[in-house]
Amino acid sequence: MLLFWAVAGVLAAAAAGLILMRAAGAAGEAAAADPAPVLYKRQLSEIGDLVDRGLMGEAERKGAEAEAARRLLAASDRIEAPWSADPRARAAVLVAVCAAPALALGLYLKLGAAGLQDQPYETRVAAWQGANLDSLTPPQLAAVMRKVTSERPNDPEGLRLLGMVESASDNPIAAVRALRRAAQLAPGNADIWRQLGEAEVVAGGGKMGAGAETAFNRVLALSPGDAGARFYLARGKAEAGRTAEAVADLRGLLAAMPAGDPRRAVVEQEVARIEGRPAGPTADPQQLAMIRGMVASLAAKLEADPDNPDGWVRLVRAYAVLGDTAKRDAAYSKARAKYAGQPAVLQQLDEAARAETMR
Amino acid sequence: MIAEIGAFALILALALSVAQAGLSFAGRMRRSSALAGAGEGAAIAAFLGVAGAFAALMHAFVVSDFSVANVAMNSHSEKPLLYRVAGTWGSHEGSMLLWCLALTGFGAAVAGLGRTLPRGLRALTVGTQGLLGTVFLAYTVFASNPLARVLQPPVEGRSLNPLLQDPALAVHPPFLYAGYVGMSVVFSLAVAALIEGRVDAAWSRWVRPWALAAWSLLTVGITLGSFWAYYELGWGGWWFWDPVENASFMPWLIATALLHSAIVTEKRGALAGWTVFLALAAFTFSMLGAFLVRSGVLTSVHAFAVDPTRGVLLLIILGLTSGSAFALFAWRAPTLGQGGMFAPVSRESALVLNNILLAAATATVLLGTLYPLIREAMSGEAISVGPPYFNLTFTPLMAALLILLPIGPLLAWKRGDAGGAVKRLQIAVAVAVVAAVAVGLLVAPRNTWGALGVALGGWLIAGALAEIAERTRAFRAPWAETRRRLTGLPRGAWGMTLAHLGLGVFVLGAVFEVSWKVEAAEALPVGGALDVGGYHVRLAAVQGVNGPNYDVDRGTVVVTRAGAPVCEVQPERRLYLAGGQTTSEVGICYRGLSHLYIVLGEQRDGGAFLVRAYWNPWASLIFLGPVIMGLGGLVSLSDRRLRLGVGRRRKEPAT
Repeated sequence: MLLFWAVAGVLAAAAAGLILMRAAGAAGEAAAADPAPVLYKRQLSEIGDLVDRGLMGEAERKGAEAEAARRLLAASDRIEAPWSADPRARAAVLVAVCAAPALALGLYLKLGAAGLQDQPYETRVAAWQGANLDSLTPPQLAAVMRKVTSERPNDPEGLRLLGMVESASDNPIAAVRALRRAAQLAPGNADIWRQLGEAEVVAGGGKMGAGAETAFNRVLALSPGDAGARFYLARGKAEAGRTAEAVADLRGLLAAMPAGDPRRAVVEQEVARIEGRPAGPTADPQQLAMIRGMVASLAAKLEADPDNPDGWVRLVRAYAVLGDTAKRDAAYSKARAKYAGQPAVLQQLDEAARAETMR
Repeated sequence: MIAEIGAFALILALALSVAQAGLSFAGRMRRSSALAGAGEGAAIAAFLGVAGAFAALMHAFVVSDFSVANVAMNSHSEKPLLYRVAGTWGSHEGSMLLWCLALTGFGAAVAGLGRTLPRGLRALTVGTQGLLGTVFLAYTVFASNPLARVLQPPVEGRSLNPLLQDPALAVHPPFLYAGYVGMSVVFSLAVAALIEGRVDAAWSRWVRPWALAAWSLLTVGITLGSFWAYYELGWGGWWFWDPVENASFMPWLIATALLHSAIVTEKRGALAGWTVFLALAAFTFSMLGAFLVRSGVLTSVHAFAVDPTRGVLLLIILGLTSGSAFALFAWRAPTLGQGGMFAPVSRESALVLNNILLAAATATVLLGTLYPLIREAMSGEAISVGPPYFNLTFTPLMAALLILLPIGPLLAWKRGDAGGAVKRLQIAVAVAVVAAVAVGLLVAPRNTWGALGVALGGWLIAGALAEIAERTRAFRAPWAETRRRLTGLPRGAWGMTLAHLGLGVFVLGAVFEVSWKVEAAEALPVGGALDVGGYHVRLAAVQGVNGPNYDVDRGTVVVTRAGAPVCEVQPERRLYLAGGQTTSEVGICYRGLSHLYIVLGEQRDGGAFLVRAYWNPWASLIFLGPVIMGLGGLVSLSDRRLRLGVGRRRKEPAT
């Protein structure tokens, strides 16, 4: 803090010094002549030069010389009122030299954040690295893991963790990238391939792409009967229109699952969805409470830091899905007003507001 | 702490600009050297302050300090260093700071280098520059602070628009801004001259170096932007009559007119009022460009601001500064001298015609740029004014200008001999006719407009060379005589020749590219091929690669002609991880002056890639021409006659 004010003071003093120096220097040259006649004289001599070099004909010369001479005379005749070294000027300069830094100080105290330290990225990541990992948010963990993996680029486990935290920080493309590298380094690790497949599905907007399919097939090759891989592959078949096959695969999966397996509900629901039957109640009360908590925290976050178009879109969609129309409309109109100048955001908001309510 | 020091330095610069204006104007009013000198000191100090703030912002970008809101919004820790540096001016706030840096820099340059200007003119110019600095720094500090902080910095930044992460675009804004804002000196000199009531030959000679420097920088800046659009946007074109391009083109056209009218004012004392008008208009168009880009009325990669209130503020600044300057002009212009008379056929008349055509061309561009915006604001109906409009309005005006261009420099001042001038251009006429006939006969498919355009390019180039030949009596006098004259030619003359030659080179390239470009697009599986302009383009491989902050599909494209290998290029399709946007990197195979331009598009279902290939004949000339023009400006700038330095004055005999 003290250092900051010291530097700011030095800056202000240097500016004042520069002004005083130039003022003193200029006061001395009060008698300098008007340069215009010099210029015209040179223009006159240039005409001779041009003729000498043959670049101007004799006929043109006379006219040009007469004109330049006339201008020279006119310029020499012009008498400017003399400039003076007015003693009162010194006082005025001193006032300005004091007033400018004072004005700057006043404005800075109103607008600036005196003493707020710089926060270079490297320093922050180092601090997170040293902190208790449980206290970090997923994006902070991702930053730490990115640093760790850049130091150990050939460690598949580090890359797998990076992929997990990137997924958790809503960054599926980066997650896919990390997991692909991890899978290259440890091609025999079924867990990595499964995570890669899941990240590919998220990155692809929930659809099975070629990358995801390859990954899940690798999982099955390494760990035959893997439930996750079978589930996603079946879903991929359903997306491709091979409904009967998909349902058969999922039923096979159910048969292989033990009775108490909590994942059964998900698989049953998927079968129902594929067959076009209305699914059972989507969310149990506990899950719903958790979702509501997450939405509330997003709303609070936006209240604190409202400049986040993606956040607003997510919030509006979440309220729409939860069926909370009053809150949806409030958030929607607030965000619309905020992003009135951005048609792209407005369109996203419109789409989010129209999202179907969860049954 | 560095960020806060920068914030303080920026605010200090604002206070110093206020002092600069106050001290300079008071100095002129009281004819006090000390006050005027103090104003100059404040101008230099204000520049150093903005430079400090700029350095602090750049530091924040380089170390990815996301506690600076602007860095958090526009940078990312994984972005390569060059683009972190360039990110300094990649956003609205940062580019306003760059604008202020150039503005105060030019103010400091006038204060530091303007020793040969008359006292009063200098004080008023520095004062006006101080007023401009005050207005723009106040806008930056209060409405667009680039060093505003956030207490809870996000973990990661939002990154810079990937389209802007490109070497040409990293250096394009500094050139463009130096050019835009360089016009502010011309503007301030005009305001000062109006107040002093002194617009004469001396004044135009003081204006010329600043106008030349700004014009050259603007030429290079626009060319870099156009080249970027050409190879980065992947549409195969180089000029789209996009409002943002027009915004940079209008000050250029006006500055070009100004450079020519200032010659008349300098040599003959005529056109004083018009020259002052152009000097005011050039910076007005620069500010209009700044408004258009930042008001949110445009949708483009350049459209930074999302906030209409900032646009309104800029519109108010534009109205206040230009409005008061033009009001001053209306009041004082009638007192300006008439200057020398001239005949309808004379160098002066040719330059007047040049100015009329350039001004009319600017008006058509202005109309084509603003009309859709105004109409959309009035009726809500979006219309697009594109190449058809400009081809019908701008192109004929320019064609007329270009046809007349080589004749002008061969006319004498006061009273010229048009017949004599055309006679001296016989060779240029012959070159143009031969070029048109040759192109008409040899280049397929036949294209009459293309052939005429090539004739025009040939006429310009041959005309520029004929003018030099005429001045040096080449082929008519002995070689020794010609050589003596060649070495004796002032740099200004060489500058003009280069600029006119460059224009001819540009016209050749533009006409050829527009008339004979060929394109083909096909979805190609790996191993597939298409034919364009006699070349066989085969997509040999597509490989996934990891870039620093993006993933790449890198194509390997093998080009052959009649079975013989020609070249291999690697167009890319990049997916940026932050934001998930895709961009394409065009692969260009240079064949002499022509380009084979290949774009790797998205992957279709079934694995085929959409490949677009363009044969752009003589496209290199489109960018080479303006570079020659800019070089001409710099050569002219180095002319010793423009250097009214103190050092030279000592050599003059004392009177």
